[in-house]
Order: sequence, then C-alpha cells, then structure tokens
Amino acid sequence: MDLKFSPQDEQYRERLRAWLDVNLKQHQAVSKAGDVDPVQAARDWQKTLCEGGYLGLSWPREYGGQEASLTQQVVVSEELARSGAPAPINTIGISILGPTLIQHGSEEQKQRYLPKILNGEELWCQGFSEPGAGSDLASLQTRAIEDGDHFVVNGQKVWTSLGMIADWCFLLVRTNPDALKREGISYLLCNMKTPGITVRPLRNAGGGSHFCEMFFDDVRIPRENLVGELNGGWRIARSTLDNERSGLSGVISIENNLDRLLNLSTSLNRGKERAIDSDSVQQQLAQLWIEKEGLKYLGFRNLSDQIANRPPGPAASVGKLFASRLRQKIGKAGFDIAGPLAQVGKKSPHSIARGRLQAMYFDSLGYSIGGGTSEIMQNIIAEKVLGLPRSYED
Amino acid sequence: MHFELSEEQNAIYDLVVGFMADKWSGDNRRQGLDSYPCQIPGELLREIADLGFYGISLDEKSGGGGEPLLTSALIAEAAGGSLFPSIMNTTLAAAKALDLCDADSNWLAKVISGQQTVAIAIEEPNGCWGLDSIELTPQMDGQGGYLSGSKILVSDGDFAQVFLVAALLPDGPAFIRVNANAEGVEINSMRRLDGQSIVELEMKDVRFEQDDVLGDGATLNQVYDIWTLLIAADLLGNAQSVLRMTTDYAKERQQFARPIGSFQAVAHRLADIQVDVEIGRSLLYGACLALEEESDEATALVSAAKAWMNDLGVKAAETGLQLHGGIGYTWELDIHLHLRQARSNAVTLGDSKYHRARVASHLMSPEY
Ligand SMILES: Cc1cc2nc3c(=O)[nH]c(=O)nc-3n(C[C@H](O)[C@H](O)[C@H](O)COP(=O)(O)OP(=O)(O)OC[C@H]3O[C@@H](n4cnc5c(N)ncnc54)[C@H](O)[C@@H]3O)c2cc1C
Repeated sequence: MDLKFSPQDEQYRERLRAWLDVNLKQHQAVSKAGDVDPVQAARDWQKTLCEGGYLGLSWPREYGGQEASLTQQVVVSEELARSGAPAPINTIGISILGPTLIQHGSEEQKQRYLPKILNGEELWCQGFSEPGAGSDLASLQTRAIEDGDHFVVNGQKVWTSLGMIADWCFLLVRTNPDALKREGISYLLCNMKTPGITVRPLRNAGGGSHFCEMFFDDVRIPRENLVGELNGGWRIARSTLDNERSGLSGVISIENNLDRLLNLSTSLNRGKERAIDSDSVQQQLAQLWIEKEGLKYLGFRNLSDQIANRPPGPAASVGKLFASRLRQKIGKAGFDIAGPLAQVGKKSPHSIARGRLQAMYFDSLGYSIGGGTSEIMQNIIAEKVLGLPRSYED
Repeated sequence: MHFELSEEQNAIYDLVVGFMADKWSGDNRRQGLDSYPCQIPGELLREIADLGFYGISLDEKSGGGGEPLLTSALIAEAAGGSLFPSIMNTTLAAAKALDLCDADSNWLAKVISGQQTVAIAIEEPNGCWGLDSIELTPQMDGQGGYLSGSKILVSDGDFAQVFLVAALLPDGPAFIRVNANAEGVEINSMRRLDGQSIVELEMKDVRFEQDDVLGDGATLNQVYDIWTLLIAADLLGNAQSVLRMTTDYAKERQQFARPIGSFQAVAHRLADIQVDVEIGRSLLYGACLALEEESDEATALVSAAKAWMNDLGVKAAETGLQLHGGIGYTWELDIHLHLRQARSNAVTLGDSKYHRARVASHLMSPEY
C-alpha cells in the first residue's frame, strides 16, 4: 500500500502548475474586468483547459481525450482545486453524459458530440426528473411517439440544472406506455433550439437561479439522436447515475470549504478570544477534519478499485451519502462559528466573508437531494450492499 | 499509487477470522464476566504464537514477519470482531515497543514466541489520558533508581510477567522494566466492564538498574500511537461483526408478515453503520500508512481513527442491541459482549474528546 506518485506524475504536476500560473491568471484578469459575459468567459476557460490537455483525461484520444493514467487524473483534480480554478462549466456534459456516450453511444454519436462536450462549444443539461417522477424516476411520463424518422416529444422536465444556458439536453422519455415502467423508456439527445421547447428558470432556496423547468410541445427529435436501443434507455440511465455519484473531486472542494472555516475561526473574535480558542469550536472542527480525511481515504480505496477495473457499483452511494452529510455539517458549523453575525447578509456592514458562509450553507442543502436523495442512497446501501429485502413494492 | 490490501493481508485476515470461529466464542467471554478475568487456554495461546502473529510487523532481522503495521491492525480487527481478548493487542503493541526501544533480542524473541507476556503501564489515577499526564517520577541514583507510585488500567496485567512502566526521567519520559515478581510490586485486579484483565500496579521502592530503562519520549509517542491504532482496529472489527450479525437477523426475523429488514427505520440505521464502517476502514488504512511513512500528519490521523472508531464501536453495538429487540437485551446473545468491549475500548488510550483535541492541536499548529 502506498500513495506515492511516480517521478513522471510529479513532473506532470510541475508542468500543470506552471501552465496554471499563466493561464489561470489570464482568465481571472478577464473575469475581473467584467466586460465579457460570465457564461462566455466560463466557456472560454473550459476551452483553454481543453486545449491545454487537462480535460477528458480518461477519454479516448480519437474523441479529443487524453487517455491519461488514473494518477494523472488525480494530479489534475488536486491541482485545479488547490489553485482555486473554476470547474469547467460543462461539468454535466463532461462527467455525466460523456462516459455514458463512450459506453453506449454509436460511433457517429461519439464523433459528433464528444469533442464539443470537451471544448465547451456545446453545453449540456440533464432532463431526467419530472414533477411526478423524482426518486421514482422510472415512472416518468414525458412521451415520445415515433413519426417517420423522428420522435415527437410532449411533456415536462423539472429541476434541470443549467437548462437555461444549455445547448443540448440528454432526455429520458417514455416510448412504450404499455410495457413495464422500466422497459418503455428511451434515451434521447435533444437540441435545445428545437421549436416547441420552453424553458423557465426557477430560483433555488439559496436565491440563485441555477435550475429550471422545461416544457416540450410537439418537439421533433431526429431518430439518429436515440442512444442505444429503443425502449432500452433505463439501463443507460443507470450507468449515467453511477457516473454522477463517483469521483474524488468532491473531497477537494470539501477540503477547501473546511479550510475556509478554519481561517474564519482564527480571524473572528467571539468575546475576548478568537472563535478557535473555544473548546467546542476546536472539537467541532476536529470532527469535520476527521470526516474529511475518512472521505479522502475512501476515495483512494475507490480509486484503487478503478485502477483494478472493478466498477464502483452501489458502493458509490456510500461516498455520495457521506459527502453530502459532511458538506451540510460544514455548512452548519459556519453558522455556529459566526455566531450572532451569521444572519447578516452580504454587502452589508459586519457581514462575514462576503456572504460566503451563507452561500456555502444553502449550497450544501442541495447535495442531499440532487443526484438521488440521501434516503434513496440509504435504500441502495441497504438493498444492494447489505442485501436487505426491499422496503416497498415497485 | 495503490491503496488496497495485498493478497497476503487478505489471507491473514481470513485466517484469523477462520481460526477464531473455530477456537473461540462469546461463551468464553461470558464466563469471564462471572469469574474474572476472562481466561484463555494456554494451548490456544501457544497456537496463536506459533502462527507468528505477534511479530508479524517487525523486521525480519528482529525475528519478525516483515509485514507493514497494517497487517497487525488487521489481526487486531479480526480478533476484536471475534471477541478475542485484548492480549492480542497488548502483545502486538509490546513486541513493537521492545523493537522500537532496541530491547535485547532474546527478550523480544520470548515475547513474540508467546513465552512471556509483557504489559504496558501508562495511565495513572488522575482521570486523564496520554503521555502528557504521566507524573510517576523515579528516585534516581548512579546505577538506576527506585519507583514508587501506581499505574492503573494496565491491560492484561493479570497475566504479565513483565511490565513496561512509563515514567518521567530526568531526560524525559521512558519505559522502565519492572518484573511482576519484583520486591515492592503489588498487582491488584480491576474488573473491566467486559471481563477482560486490567490491573492496578502498586510500586513501593521498586529497584531498577540503568539497563532497565528503555526508549525515550519519541519512542513512547510511537508506541502510544501504534497501540491506539490497534485498539481502533479492534473497535472496527467489533462494529463490523455487530453489523453482520444484525443484518443477518434483520433478514430472518419476521414481524407483520415481512422481514424486519424491509422496514426503512431498521434498514436505514444499518445502512448508516455500513457507511460509518467504510469510513472507519478508510481511516484505519490511512493512519497505518501515515505511521509507517512517518508522515507529519501521522499522530493526527491516529487520533482521527481512534476518535471515529470509539464512536462507531459504541453506536454499532447499541444499534445492534436495539434492532434485535427483546433478544438483544439478553445475557445469552453476544451483543452485550460487543457493547461491553466497545464501551471499554472507547475509553482506553483516549476517548473521542481527547483524540479530537489532539486533532485540533494539529489543525492549529503553524505547520498545518
Ligand atoms: C440542486 C439540485 C440540482 C438538480 N439537478 C437536476 C438535473 O440537472 N437534472 C435532473 O433531472 N434532476 C435534477 N435534480 C432533481 C433531483 O434529482 C430530484 O429532486 C431528486 O431525485 C428527488 O426527487 P423529488 O424532488 O421528486 O423528490 P421526491 O422523490 O418526491 O422525494 C421527497 C422526499 O421523499 C423521500 N423519498 C422518496 N422516495 C423514497 C423511498 N423510496 N424511500 C425513502 N424515502 C423516499 C425523499 O428522500 C425525499 O426526502 C436536482 C435537484 C437539486 C436539489
């Protein structure tokens, strides 16, 4: 057992650091100047990352990937996070759809879509959830009827992250209403500019508008945009959901949040002492650090499984569940540490860390819902890991 | 980079689990509760020594198995999960301690071959844990000195022929070798909650010579960390066993014409323990590796593992008791044995609060 990087990996890290030094500064200068539209600036940053060779590390070269080693992938995610570089805007395309297409897409689809996912030319959103189908995703109602070489889609999707800026959407639709619920679902790729799509932004609990609802009225999608077999979409959706739930990157952003709390507690005074001088704050921060380390080493164990080509499967739910709980503990600890000033909004006198603690807190609350709720993760662990009997008819 | 058990490690773990399933059971521990302390047949102890467990993580040139520390932790985990007594951890730690202190090789050989039991005496009757709270100070003369004072909570002191007594010497902390039968030594059994051997060691003008002094502050810290980690591993194994037992029961036991494991109030509690066990296992591996590589974070990671496992061990056993219903509250079922062992280990070599404080001092250190 060892966690050492090879000399080649270390050289690779050095090159990346030097590269970030130049390119990240440039991007930050452009963003700060504020005369470029932020979405455009984010797309440009993704393009820069892609051209530098720091995206699609595990993807095949023929579709714009790097075929890099797993340890290089770890190096990249560590360095990007340490440097404070923004994540690529098309994360949904890169980490959720991309691997699904590589596994299940046709050759034409891979060539057509994958390179533009990576360079940010086409931004993607995930059209899975519906008003009546969340945890019970397989009960979705959005209908697609075959009409010549097209599908005609009618229905509604909701909670679609980045739906208002996306160029494309990967969509689950019902193509056979008479079959069992999992056997009548198909997986389609939909251009968001197709006539008949209406997108309405929804404000989230934290005040931001990062997700939306989408209405489909006789939307015509070419048959060639079907991924996999007709009525074979559920299996593909499952692999999409597994992709969504694994990975190391979560730990590093959790580590950054925890460092933020530590800095706050050494700089903020509560009464005659610094916040960190209180025994209960020390105990709380220590507990968070312990849990963060646990998650980090769990990530290394998962990574070793990947290196040995063992798929994550239901065990990915362990990390997803634990990480979202930890994020929420960190979010709440921010309020505990800040004390009376926790309630003060950003841009007002005495506000703390420019409202960042509050954003961190609200942000954390979405993690136990999006990508499958914590209760669903508990069901999966109980059934698929421990082998307990199912809790409900399905 | 790889972060998984080797084939040997998996094999050793399975060997210990299988061995214990054959030779040891909760009944042995129940007996220990009625006739303190829990006894282990000499035959069985010899077999264990012959399997080469005690020295497994020592260098081959010290007569050991050349395995990393984690292999010892896996043995501690498997033994703890099988309710095997603390003598396993005590001897694994003592062998490491003698090796780190460069003790005489014949002596070390006796310990790893099971011919002699060495107990480590650290805690004193002051309500605190850790090397910082040691007050025992010997009276020194030219060739050695005299020890007077008491140590408590000394694991396996009922069986030990020799004690490594942590004391404050003029140059800092060190171990002093004290024979159980030396003049001025009095050993009083203390009843541990789980029937295992702990003793009070009373010393009155006990003579020691210069070559009975072993190690220094640094080695004592290492020994403390290693032993702490072994007990953390014991707690992990304990939690893992309770989880397995309770999951099996939840699949079998029927109420309202369905298995109780199909109720989410039951299933989710077990799922949560599964998550906590996986995190605990990850912390154990991480801490072992850090100690092995002498990382700056080693002590903080050891404390992380112990704090986490203290809470996990107790939570798993209490949950297991509850989810077994009435049977869970009986003397016959092994659950209370697991709970007793977890509760005792959770306050041995530092409770969660103590270890979180050690983590906090790491977070507040200028190097962090
Ligand atoms: C920040 C965020 C981003 C999102 N982004 C996207 C996106 O990009 N694309 C997309 O398609 N969706 C997205 N979602 C939607 C998300 O996947 C769903 O909200 C989620 O799956 C839950 O579905 P629901 O909202 O219908 O809640 P419900 O399924 O109605 O759940 C309500 C409550 O009941 C519990 N519950 C339901 N079933 C069970 C059960 N069997 N056992 C125990 N408890 C149960 C749930 O855990 C929850 O607490 C996002 C959500 C959030 C919060």
